[in-house]
Amino acid sequence: MDTSLLSQIVFYFFAAVTLASAAVVVFSRSLIYSAFGLLFTFFGVAALYVFLGADFLAATQLVIYVGGILILLLFGVMLTHKLYDLNLKTETFQVAPSVLLMLAVFGVLVLAMMQTAWYNAGPRQPEPTTAAIGTLLMKDFILPFEVASVLLLIALIGAAMIVRRRAE
Amino acid sequence: MDPKLIADLYSFIPELTVTGTLLLVILADLSLARIRRTLTFVVAAAGLLAAFAFTIPLFGAEPRSLFYGMIALDPMAVFFKAFLLLASLLVLLAAPGSSELAKRQVGEFYALLAGVTLGMMLLAASTDLLMLFLALETVSVGSYIMVGYLKNDRASNEAALKYLLFGAVSSGAMLYGMTLLFGLTGTTKMSAIRDVLSGAAHPGGNALMLLVATVLVIAGFGFKTAAVPFHFWCPDVYTGAPTPVTAFLSVAPKAAGFATLVRFFFTGLAESHGVPPQWATLVSINWMPIVMVLSIITMTFANIAALRQENMKRLLAYSSIAHAGYMLMGASVLSGDGLQSVLVYLITYLFMNLGAFIIVIEIYNRTGSFELKDYRGFSRRSPFLSVAMSIFLLSLMGIPPLAGFFGKFYVFAAAVNRNLVFLAVIGALNSVVAVYYYARVMKAMVIDTGEETARVRVSWGNLALIWVMLVPTVCLMLFWNPVQRLTSSSWHLFLGN
Amino acid sequence: MIGLGHYLVISAALFSLGIMCVLTRKNAVSVLMGVELILNSANLNLVAFSKYAAGNLNGQVFAIFIIIVAAAEVAVALAIVLSMYRMLRTVNLDRADTLKG
Repeated sequence: MDTSLLSQIVFYFFAAVTLASAAVVVFSRSLIYSAFGLLFTFFGVAALYVFLGADFLAATQLVIYVGGILILLLFGVMLTHKLYDLNLKTETFQVAPSVLLMLAVFGVLVLAMMQTAWYNAGPRQPEPTTAAIGTLLMKDFILPFEVASVLLLIALIGAAMIVRRRAE
Repeated sequence: MDPKLIADLYSFIPELTVTGTLLLVILADLSLARIRRTLTFVVAAAGLLAAFAFTIPLFGAEPRSLFYGMIALDPMAVFFKAFLLLASLLVLLAAPGSSELAKRQVGEFYALLAGVTLGMMLLAASTDLLMLFLALETVSVGSYIMVGYLKNDRASNEAALKYLLFGAVSSGAMLYGMTLLFGLTGTTKMSAIRDVLSGAAHPGGNALMLLVATVLVIAGFGFKTAAVPFHFWCPDVYTGAPTPVTAFLSVAPKAAGFATLVRFFFTGLAESHGVPPQWATLVSINWMPIVMVLSIITMTFANIAALRQENMKRLLAYSSIAHAGYMLMGASVLSGDGLQSVLVYLITYLFMNLGAFIIVIEIYNRTGSFELKDYRGFSRRSPFLSVAMSIFLLSLMGIPPLAGFFGKFYVFAAAVNRNLVFLAVIGALNSVVAVYYYARVMKAMVIDTGEETARVRVSWGNLALIWVMLVPTVCLMLFWNPVQRLTSSSWHLFLGN
Repeated sequence: MIGLGHYLVISAALFSLGIMCVLTRKNAVSVLMGVELILNSANLNLVAFSKYAAGNLNGQVFAIFIIIVAAAEVAVALAIVLSMYRMLRTVNLDRADTLKG
């Protein structure tokens, strides 16, 4: 068995994990299941990043999405449901039309993709990306880098302000 | 360090000042409780005023791009910097006069206002999709929090949640569209996107994908400018938010949204030729009809929906959607005239709309109500407020010689100049519909009689602010030359090398 | 051979699922999960295009910024959801009806 076949099998495995768990997120009637579905989606996408030679991004995905965002969402699920509200259910509505709409969106996207000639500057050679990304962030992307810090500061001030309990 | 970067920083002083203001306000908020309220206000006002002063020398600067092509320094960007700083400053001055905000700590409010202002200034100047997205999110995240500022108020919380969910979805869709553009062109720079797309061997080959990407990106802009059908959030959010925030949202982020919409379409998806430039859409994506249809349904829908509103904030929300429709019309005709008309419209809209909102704030302070029925007979309770409100409403209708007339005149003239008479006719018909709901408010205030008859005293702060809005609304035509000169020199865009 | 098309189809599917999630769910936290699916699909696009189309790292850097923004957005969203829950004891959108749309 050659390596390309093996890598294909591994790719399809992760692709299946990603999509199946994303479907769980969407179709599960329990918020907890949805959150765990999201966990596997994030893992699957991180694995796809590795396939694409984006090692730093894969690590970032795990640290921030799984370690941060998902935990926050789980907190949201847990904190907002007290014991008397045990049936962590989310009613879905208009399922049939939305499934049709989803298929239509997917169909249009794939149809458009099939007839598109994407830009092609030649494939990038696989190599470690961390140092190069660091240089880019400090050079070409210095302004977005700084603006992102302001954005995080605003979010920090705002989130703290909103949840703080203080007699006013 | 790159010497070019140092030079860029000198042209970046207004933004740096606003960032400094944000940090100083946070520091000032740590001071003694007794002086905190005043100190944070003074720091924020002084900072924004200083930033405005630093923007003025930039008028007439050589158009160029800054920070490795992330933002542009061109007449349009400088105009919007000044405009947005002025709008933020006016809203800041209106904040202490609002009884809604008086119950809350205001330090964070001023800090958030400064942060959102920074985001808007960058948004109006972004020439790179990444920068555009980040600036848009800075504006959005700040606005979500400002909308939910009355955290013990149910409506304010609901409004913030709705705004956030709609905002997150539409910016996600926009982002997906941007990634498709990146795939089509291999770049995120707007000018490079145009060069790749117009230089393509088979311009028609990627038409469907370009259409999908464009529609997705329009969803993001449509959300920010509250254009129909991306306006769902708008009436609820405007009603639930603290009124100064509503006033802010109806002017400043909307203006920044227009700036970035114009920049994206005119730089990235259109080709210019000649001096002064004439634009034509790219062969592969003719977006002009899309924006035109968006403009028509936006103003028509909003004007009809406004007819049956009983709450002043909702009525002004629909009115602001309708005005966004007129401005979209100016952008959709693809000419320098059209761009100039958008700028003229924004200047007039700033004063008349903020003026109307300040009166709504003042009336709420005195009556505790936003309902139209409580406006009945107000002319006997406060003749000044009633007359001032009538002037702002007449201006919003577009009655000459008030400021609002000139905005509409320029927009319709730009449409006629491009032989789009039907567009001007639709706009004019819409203005007729709009007369009805503005007149309803005037009728309630002046002709109807209310149960309450006690005289209302206007606080001096709001009185001064109302005059600040009233003078330009009434007298703009006397100063038409400077306005004409400012706007005709400010619509020029830096289109890349 | 795995190519650009494979990744794009996965991302298109993630995007459609995200849109569906956003449309059908009433719970605010679920809608946020749908938004995360959409953002992940955009990121996957960017990284795939970074490798196959642009041939440089700019797409990956873009994706990093999207992750940052997503974190900030979720933090603010959860703060608002918690504050609202304190008041209403519900996070379902259809019960948030003081403002009739």
